[in-house]
Amino acid sequence: MNNNYKTPGAKARRYAILTVVSAILCAPLVFVVSIALSSDATTNAMSFSFFPTEWHWENFIRVFDSGLPIGRFIINSLCIVLPACLFMTLSSALVSYGFARLRAPGKDILFIIVLSTMMIPGQVLMIPQFILFRTLGWVNTLLPLVIPNLFANAYNVFLMRQFITRIPTELDEAAELDGLGYFGIFTRIILPMMTPVLAAVCVFTFSANWGNFFGPLLYINDEEKMPLALGLQVLSAQSSGAQTPPWNMIMVGSLILIIPVLIVYYFSQKYIYESGLGVGSAGIK
Amino acid sequence: MSAVTKAAKPRKERRGLTRKTREAIAFYACVSPWIFGFVVFTAIPMVASLYLSFTDWDSFQSPNFVGFANYVKAFTKDPLFWKVLGHTFYYACVSVPLSLLIALYLSNLLSNNFRGKRAFRTIIYLPSLVPLVSAGLIFKWLLKPEDGPINAFLSIFGIKGPAWLLDTHWVIPAIILLSLWQVGGGTILLISAINGVPKELYEAAEIDGAGHYRMFWNITFPMITPILFFNLVTGIIGAFQVFDQVYILTEGGPDNASQMMVPYIYTTAFKNFQMGYASALAWILFVIIMIISALVLRSSSAWVFYESEVKK
Repeated sequence: MNNNYKTPGAKARRYAILTVVSAILCAPLVFVVSIALSSDATTNAMSFSFFPTEWHWENFIRVFDSGLPIGRFIINSLCIVLPACLFMTLSSALVSYGFARLRAPGKDILFIIVLSTMMIPGQVLMIPQFILFRTLGWVNTLLPLVIPNLFANAYNVFLMRQFITRIPTELDEAAELDGLGYFGIFTRIILPMMTPVLAAVCVFTFSANWGNFFGPLLYINDEEKMPLALGLQVLSAQSSGAQTPPWNMIMVGSLILIIPVLIVYYFSQKYIYESGLGVGSAGIK
Repeated sequence: MSAVTKAAKPRKERRGLTRKTREAIAFYACVSPWIFGFVVFTAIPMVASLYLSFTDWDSFQSPNFVGFANYVKAFTKDPLFWKVLGHTFYYACVSVPLSLLIALYLSNLLSNNFRGKRAFRTIIYLPSLVPLVSAGLIFKWLLKPEDGPINAFLSIFGIKGPAWLLDTHWVIPAIILLSLWQVGGGTILLISAINGVPKELYEAAEIDGAGHYRMFWNITFPMITPILFFNLVTGIIGAFQVFDQVYILTEGGPDNASQMMVPYIYTTAFKNFQMGYASALAWILFVIIMIISALVLRSSSAWVFYESEVKK
């Protein structure tokens, strides 16, 4: 594609278009930062400016003793996200190793089931799952949001299996000659070579659970048990009364919800690309 | 392979199991986390959901079997169902193709090497990383009718902006606007697809004197159709399951003007406690998604170009 946009006119036009598009896409975030840095007086008067004019960085500290349970929300979110990241990644890796490397009767049928469950929308499952967790007495606890995330899910298994099939089998065979069993081959040979895809799955699990709104909405009623994503929505929706919610603090909370996702993506770009996801689907190459 | 079998022999004798059996045991041990999760959180709930869709369960009294009554009710007696289904189609059929077109255009602009490429890519990608809750809260602000920034911006040009989330005609376009804000995810996928197109093709085309537009339509576009297709299918499936945006921006209002399938199922099940009817609605949605996916898959052979077909 080096031959396109050669003329100065075409170049200038491209910069112009990209600048306008970037400005439009950036604008909402600029506005959020502006609200987050506003003083309480500005917030009560609802007189926010589009570009930040006040710089109350202390809002990011005040938010934790502002009487809003945002610190609590963050802890709850971490209680959901951290076990999910660890166990989802490891269990998916183990399952995908089985599908990629081991032979057993019934394997093909099981793999077809894996592929077809990727298409089932969660809504079909939400009512019976809710009944299941209610029967277990888990409603209004974090358990329904933690436990299902500990077991390998179809999408991650598929992704990792595709990755493992690209690792040469000669490595397994050499390791087997050295006396390693199947589990040893997995932990010593395959797992270390899977780093990019492990990181990618970990990142996806992180952002899916960190930002998950629907699950907590179904299961959590008490404010002190809410994760950040649900808590923010509940705080902002309390505005319907005479009193306006503290929008500057809510936008600080929003930024706290956004920033970890950005940081995680920034540092994992390389791995996501290496795991072959950069190309989109396994089918292209 | 023969060396491997020989090496495995001593162990076979030791444990009294053949290699085949040991391998099968290892396989089932490995996949057991998925099997457990699948049975408990997917298979049993699927069966339960299908059963519930044929009952009148209200989540308090024991369910009574009512046959197809819930399905008949959805299609013939519930005017809201058709309205909600229509809104969902409207949202999916506008937002998905529109964001795909914009992503295609942007990725074409961004795929070359030029100064500031990384910065532009990052900025365009950034919004798609914003969790939907934050995005929803932000857009609730931006779309405020009186003093919201979007209408303030429009008034600079003398346009009186609509009431967006409060206007029955503009509420779905407002939700589509939010989906377009997150166009960067698709753009990034298309950029890597475009960069994966072999350079020789462009060089050959340049020698033949092809211009920019010819190159795009005759080389880039056919070569990236698999990715476009992937984005189209996942986009449509995602759009039919839209929930967070609707719930946070409008809760389906005003006057159900933005109510869509999943928020409607949620309300039916957890606000009105019509668990049986909600299960039937969920299955209808599932079948609709399946039919659309099948149609897209079917039509794909007409316009999706797979590289491997050339090599034959």
